[in-house]
Amino acid sequence: MEAYFIAIGIIALIYVILSLGLTLQYGLTGLINFGHVGFFAIGAYTSALLALKGVPLVLSFAAAAALAGLAAWPLGLVSLRLRDDYFAIVTLGFSEVVRIVITSEGWLTNGVQGLPGIPRLYEGLGGSAAQLAVLVTVLAVTLVGTWIIRRIAGSPFGRLIEAIRDNEEAVQALGKDPARFKIQVLVVGAALAGIAGAFYAHYITYIVPDQFIPLVTFYVWMAIIMGGVGRVSGAIVGTAILMLFLEGSRFLRDIVPGVSEVDMASVRIGAVGLLLVLFIMYRPQGLMGDYTKR
Amino acid sequence: MFYAQLLVNGLVQGLVIGLAALSITLVFGIARFPNAATGDFMTFGAYSALSAHKVTGSIAMGGLAAIIATGVISLLAYLAVFRRLAERSVVALLVASIGIAFFIRAVLGVAFGHSQQVFQVPLSRPYVFGSVRITPLDLQLALVALAALALVFAILYLTPIGRQMRAVADNRDLARVSGIRPDRVMIALWLLAGSVAGIAGMMLGIKTIVTPEFGWEMLLPAFTAGILGGIGSPVGAVVAGLILGVVQEVSTPFVGFTYKIALAFIIMLAVLLVRPRGLFGRLEGAR
Repeated sequence: MEAYFIAIGIIALIYVILSLGLTLQYGLTGLINFGHVGFFAIGAYTSALLALKGVPLVLSFAAAAALAGLAAWPLGLVSLRLRDDYFAIVTLGFSEVVRIVITSEGWLTNGVQGLPGIPRLYEGLGGSAAQLAVLVTVLAVTLVGTWIIRRIAGSPFGRLIEAIRDNEEAVQALGKDPARFKIQVLVVGAALAGIAGAFYAHYITYIVPDQFIPLVTFYVWMAIIMGGVGRVSGAIVGTAILMLFLEGSRFLRDIVPGVSEVDMASVRIGAVGLLLVLFIMYRPQGLMGDYTKR
Repeated sequence: MFYAQLLVNGLVQGLVIGLAALSITLVFGIARFPNAATGDFMTFGAYSALSAHKVTGSIAMGGLAAIIATGVISLLAYLAVFRRLAERSVVALLVASIGIAFFIRAVLGVAFGHSQQVFQVPLSRPYVFGSVRITPLDLQLALVALAALALVFAILYLTPIGRQMRAVADNRDLARVSGIRPDRVMIALWLLAGSVAGIAGMMLGIKTIVTPEFGWEMLLPAFTAGILGGIGSPVGAVVAGLILGVVQEVSTPFVGFTYKIALAFIIMLAVLLVRPRGLFGRLEGAR
């Protein structure tokens, strides 16, 4: 039972790191990133491949963050020149292309068979001690990430990116260049997703392209919309609800007889769809939302 | 000629993309957001046609079912969700369209299962022109698509409601002060957009295999064609769909089958950076 809670805790914190990145990008800056899972996948595969080649995990994690951030750079350049809705489509397309490349380039990624036997973190500790150590590490990274984003939100930089979200022309009129800040935000958010991906790969130890479908992106969207867009507390509360939902649906399948895994996957995706629509319609500010705005 | 054959295959594929892009560009031009549920509308059309075909044994009845059922679903999505979000930001509409897409896919997955389904159409001998082989099925599909396109363009350019739709697309406020009732225009728009997506879905289903995910995978090529053609331009969407279909087929020997969708993405990026208003778009554009 304890092992179960540790496992849930690790996965939940990985989702929190993902939603922190999206909170920075969409919640604070207004960039509609529909391709978050693409950066998550880049991080997971980068770190896994390097670790399988014998690179120390500290370096492979750094490479995961760097490469995911780097992949966001050209998208950032494109985003500056596009309207919000076009940027959403471009990022969605980007994440699909990442998955296609991973699926097709079997020489590197082993294609649909995926990468088995990815080394765990703290393998030397063994068993539950290693699990606990992983949990503590992810928690530490999450707290640092939370702290950084809170600091950013309260800093002049944070006020500036929020101003970009609310009125980009006004920001330009004040002599600030929104473009630079947008790119920075995009890269930092993607690097966070890359780190989340690395944790995921080394925790699950087996990754295949099918784990990186757009649904994952919208799990994160669901979390930040339910929690309350633009709030760090919202990202955390939203992720907690997301985990209850994901785990709850697994329990439900175990209890209700005769429901196959594919049916349950359908029910899950349907529930995500319904929740997205209902929250957008009836509670756009989320549960922890900022009622003082809009 | 090997490439002539690919060209023919590409044209049929291009008609499917063109129809899907037409649905996207109509909604984008008039309701002002990229409808991410278009792919799943296509899936819905394919399953509707599949069911009707199984019951009646007639492809024509299947097509009729796809047109009606998908038009109705699309209208329901508008009445229940999009209409109430009309005054909100584009993000709200976008996220809602993703939600609707997921919901439709889930319902289809539960109702029809996840196994691959195919239209049982009789095999027939292809017509041979030199080295190019055209199956009667491809020819029929092309005719259906052209008939559907002719009908849509007739509605858009020859009927009062079509003229009103184009007026709203052109300038919403001007249309309103000219006495055009937005409600009627929107209802016509969503019926039309759904029906067109439904037909595209049925055609794709006949050409390939039907699964609950197969329409979603057409979303990127369809958006690309919409953008390449110029958002809000029905003619552009169809022309760009044909171009994209041919380019995808002809490039297959070089880039491989799996990179078709990646190719669409590259084309989309290139268009957005070089000429964001597309081939036939108006000046107000993607920036």
